[in-house]
Amino acid sequence: MSAQPAQYSLRGTGRMKRRKRVNLAMEIVATAASAVAVAALVWLVVSVLIRGLPALNLDLFTKNQALFGQAGGGIANAIVGSFVIVAFATAFAFPVGVLCAIYVHEFAGATIRQAVRTTLDVLTGVPSILVGIFVFSILVAGGKQSALAGSVALAIIELPLIARGTQEVLALVPGSLREASLALGVSRWRTVLSVVLPTSLSGILTGTMLAIARAAGETAPLLVTSSIVANSTSLDPSKALNSLPVTIFVYSESPDPNQHAQAWAAAFILLVFVLLTNVAARAFLARGRRKLEGAPARRRRLRVYHLFTRP
Amino acid sequence: MSKKLTLLGVACVVTLAALAAILGAATTANATRTDDQLVGAGSSFVAPLVSQWQNDYQTKTGVQIVYSPIGSGGGISAISARTVDFGASDAPLTPDQFDACKGCVQIPWALSATSIAYNLNGVKNNLKMTGPVLARIFLGDITQWDDAAIKALNPGVNLPSTKITPVYRSDNSGTSYNFTDYLSAVSPAWKSKIGVGVNANWPAGVGAKGSSGVAGVVAKTEGAVCYVDIAYAKTNKLQFMSIRNRAGKYTTPGLRGIKAAAASIKKVPASNELHIVDPAKGDPLAYPISTFTYVILPTKTDKAPQLRRFVFYALNPNQGQKFGPKLLFAPIPTVVLVASEKTLKKVQS
Amino acid sequence: MQARTRRLGDRIGDVALRLLTGAAALGCIGLVGWIVYEIFELAWPAITEEGLSFVWQTTWDPVHEVFGAFDFIFGTLYTSFWALLIAAPISVAIGLYLSELAPAGVRGIVGTLVEMRAAVPSVVIGLWGILVLGPVVKDYIGPALGAVLGWTPFFKGTPGDVGQLSAVIVLSIMIIPITSSISRELFLTVPPDLKEAAFGLGLTRWEMVRGVVLPFTRSGVFAAIILGLGRALGEAIAVTQVIGNRQGVNWSLFETGDTLASRLANTFYGASSALEKSSLAYLGAILLVITLVANIGAQLIVYRFDPLRERK
Repeated sequence: MSAQPAQYSLRGTGRMKRRKRVNLAMEIVATAASAVAVAALVWLVVSVLIRGLPALNLDLFTKNQALFGQAGGGIANAIVGSFVIVAFATAFAFPVGVLCAIYVHEFAGATIRQAVRTTLDVLTGVPSILVGIFVFSILVAGGKQSALAGSVALAIIELPLIARGTQEVLALVPGSLREASLALGVSRWRTVLSVVLPTSLSGILTGTMLAIARAAGETAPLLVTSSIVANSTSLDPSKALNSLPVTIFVYSESPDPNQHAQAWAAAFILLVFVLLTNVAARAFLARGRRKLEGAPARRRRLRVYHLFTRP
Repeated sequence: MSKKLTLLGVACVVTLAALAAILGAATTANATRTDDQLVGAGSSFVAPLVSQWQNDYQTKTGVQIVYSPIGSGGGISAISARTVDFGASDAPLTPDQFDACKGCVQIPWALSATSIAYNLNGVKNNLKMTGPVLARIFLGDITQWDDAAIKALNPGVNLPSTKITPVYRSDNSGTSYNFTDYLSAVSPAWKSKIGVGVNANWPAGVGAKGSSGVAGVVAKTEGAVCYVDIAYAKTNKLQFMSIRNRAGKYTTPGLRGIKAAAASIKKVPASNELHIVDPAKGDPLAYPISTFTYVILPTKTDKAPQLRRFVFYALNPNQGQKFGPKLLFAPIPTVVLVASEKTLKKVQS
Repeated sequence: MQARTRRLGDRIGDVALRLLTGAAALGCIGLVGWIVYEIFELAWPAITEEGLSFVWQTTWDPVHEVFGAFDFIFGTLYTSFWALLIAAPISVAIGLYLSELAPAGVRGIVGTLVEMRAAVPSVVIGLWGILVLGPVVKDYIGPALGAVLGWTPFFKGTPGDVGQLSAVIVLSIMIIPITSSISRELFLTVPPDLKEAAFGLGLTRWEMVRGVVLPFTRSGVFAAIILGLGRALGEAIAVTQVIGNRQGVNWSLFETGDTLASRLANTFYGASSALEKSSLAYLGAILLVITLVANIGAQLIVYRFDPLRERK
């Protein structure tokens, strides 16, 4: 326990009344700040709800963009496209992330462990527009845009989240489990695959779900890799596909109130998806943690939360 | 317990996948095979017309035209990098851009005008304006609507003292090229300070992306003024100005004014570059901020037959061009049509 | 016999697992290097053409092909500074509220709600910023600020519905969830006996916070703020939707402006000349350097002073 030297006199000075008043003022300030933060979120979500809900109709899900100047139309290709792009992104990021975490947990020495950790944190901090430009430069320049290029960009964004999440949850597996398995003569790789991984599966799923929620909302990388899109629905990842975030972005800047309404509806769909995924992931996490450990779980929360709540 | 959870998770994923497959299949039934696809990008100016062509062309030939209005500059850059099959630009290519494009041709395929749209509640439509005063507004010299210069042009109109917010294209835009081309022609101050280009060091106001972005800002900002293709101004019911041409008449960007401006072209140069801003005294009906817009094609490409067919369709007075007038695109004059078709033959496999 | 084949299979499996996972780890490390390399490679023509003076040159003129980054560097740092000014105290206050003051039920709900804000995609915040926040800034918040602080150079002029003020508000909304949740966790790590000792001496709660909690967690909170700053610096989409996209060094928050990330997102795909494209990549390289510095700085601070640092 490192006790830091107190910078302020710990002996009460001044009159009790004044000190009590200052205390009350500060408590009010702290409460007010939280209220403001919650109010801003509520204002945002309510705006999306009020404007998005009325705009939801069957056309939105089954039709594509209307011709210039005409009303109506929908965002079917954006919904399907988002799904395809995020699905491929997760397919790319999941194995790499989990494998990387296994290496760090099972085999790596202290230096490599720290190196990988630092790298992953740095990767989380790279602005998504730069990830997009990176992928543009290696995959799109000289060729064509494609949903796959967008998926690669989103995979790079998902990767550190999945890897760190898996790593955290692998660390929670009781050492006794592993040691018992090894003592029984089970080989290392079998131990990992049939003992360690299944125990941490719910935690890995949590990390993946949070990564998916984050990737589903990313706009900037898709602007440079998958923005020249057809007016029809397609599942073909070798072509550029429309996506919800890009649609919202483009429509938000247009003057057409019809497109505004569709943007709100798309934002509503996206927000519901992202929030539900987050809630589900947290429920998974709480359950998994409760299963594995009790009190010490609190300490781990620091790194885990800071990672997961960092958009 | 964890087995149940895993099963639940797997079940969710499978259900979602199934849903997406069903949704995709249902709507992909209407999509065309992806080899029958031409991808283009560029000018948002011509986007309304291309939008009409997309629909009609697909019904007639089954070929899907994919087009993205990323701005003329983007179109030039995209076709130079061969990221798309065709590019569209209202700004003609510079010699440097021709080099960078490595064997491209530009073909004028549509003709329309840039309107000066504004948002002033309670003030009548078609406010009168001249080139030099407009230049001063966009230079930031004139900042209020009731400025003496504007009042002098519009006697009898009750102009409020609202602040003028010039709105310009923040992306590389052929419409910006057209507008700065015009301002450079009528204002020496503009020409020396800012010049002509798809983008500029705009001294005042707010930037927005794409024609729709600019129209969007004007629609919700009182006192804003912008330059935007007339198709966008009309569709969004924005007020637009009548501009004084060299003959001294105030004209609006209607089909007559555009046709009259285009009639000033007697001969098409080899590069197909056409300037019809501020046309000479000749026609009193001419609208001074009209412009042709070009499709840019590589001379050597695998998709040459499909591209030639598409552009022929677009140039054809009874096919592509007939969608124009409703969106205020005048049919291209015969002398330009001949030159365009001649250039189109240069596109080979 | 059987035991020997099993052991051989096991050994192969072990080696295979080690190689496979090692390759993944190496790939992760290599990826960051590759990203830095590619961006600098894209920017190289502009770097050689314009050199280091690009950083303090203020013109960005695509017509005359003169490019300079200063306007955008200023915009990035300026809006982030104001966003931090608003968000940091609020985040610390929220952290304190959630760790010290809130009753158990409220704590759960409010805590979750604040963290949920981090999950909202930035394009949705931008959409809300244009269509909902913008008019409110123009009609209420702006004039109110102008009335009180209009004499300062920071609030000169009349507020529009796009501008640096909207960008600052949007950025604060994004910084607060991260910084407040980390702060809250940090405040919860203060050993309870220290706190109880302070109470035992007769201090009020605020005095205890000021004298025990804050000094104890000072560096962690600082790191959390830097992390939030990193987020703000790199935000492209929501900012570009509400900031007005105009270059120039504007001290007034009511004016429009632009940032590195915003200009990049807006014009990269539509850049018309090769020099413009690589100048934009140069902006990206500068942005990368700034965010890496902020990120690594925060990590260094956490590493040095994190009382929970694992020693594996």
